[in-house]
Amino acid sequence: MSSPAEALEVELERVHPAAFGWALACCGGDRAAAEDTLQASYLKVLDGRARFDGRASFRTWFFAVVRRTAAEQRRRNALWRLWPLSWLGTTADGRPDPAASLAHSETTRRLLAALAGLPRRQREVLYLVFYQDLSIGEAAEVAGISLGTARTHYERGKAALKKRLHGERE
Amino acid sequence: MIEREDEELRQQFATLRREESAGASAFRDTLVAARARTRLSPRRRLGLAAAALALVTLVVILTVGKRHRSAIDLAGVRVHAPTDFLLQLPGAELLRTVPRLGRVSFDRRSL
Repeated sequence: MSSPAEALEVELERVHPAAFGWALACCGGDRAAAEDTLQASYLKVLDGRARFDGRASFRTWFFAVVRRTAAEQRRRNALWRLWPLSWLGTTADGRPDPAASLAHSETTRRLLAALAGLPRRQREVLYLVFYQDLSIGEAAEVAGISLGTARTHYERGKAALKKRLHGERE
Repeated sequence: MIEREDEELRQQFATLRREESAGASAFRDTLVAARARTRLSPRRRLGLAAAALALVTLVVILTVGKRHRSAIDLAGVRVHAPTDFLLQLPGAELLRTVPRLGRVSFDRRSL
């Protein structure tokens, strides 16, 4: 019989690859920031600061934790950059990792560039639906918005993304 | 047409997922790194050290400044300029002294 902590670890290991992709999306492609966010999210879950109540699937709930943690890190980094001694430490700047960008194929680079031009909410919903294969309802739970709002973001985001991709091709 | 476009998008996202998951660090490594994180990150430690240093500097400046400051009572200071005599009025001592009855306190001839 495994302890609750071990059971949590098993669940986290199961969602790890998808969670990394989601953290990367939440951090604008910045790999260092994504890893930092994921580590902080794991700590939150294992410390009990974030508790799974079973209302949604573990993956949906954990993605919401990652999203919140990424937002907290973003705020903290923005405040840190305002501090006069910020040059002494390193902070994630929220920009895509240049090395990772080089590793992407041309198609992926175009997709990422098109996605980067969308409003954050639209980008999040599209990522969750197309990248993570979540339903719009699950995407709404992760993003902390209503189903109707998520559907609107999905439709508008999809239309804008297609326009950008096709516009670039022409 | 719309379904074909959706499928195309799905394919592109699948490619992105494959490329990103290839570069993901292993779960165990991430977990070990997460556990190794101290409550005080290097950045926070640096911030606290800088704040402590600023506080100590402020205390030192205030203490040393106070010790070297001599008390100067400006009310008791009289400055004598070489041209002061030009401002002296004849019989000026009359204004500063209280005359006593039956006693001449100044020379009438000087008036």
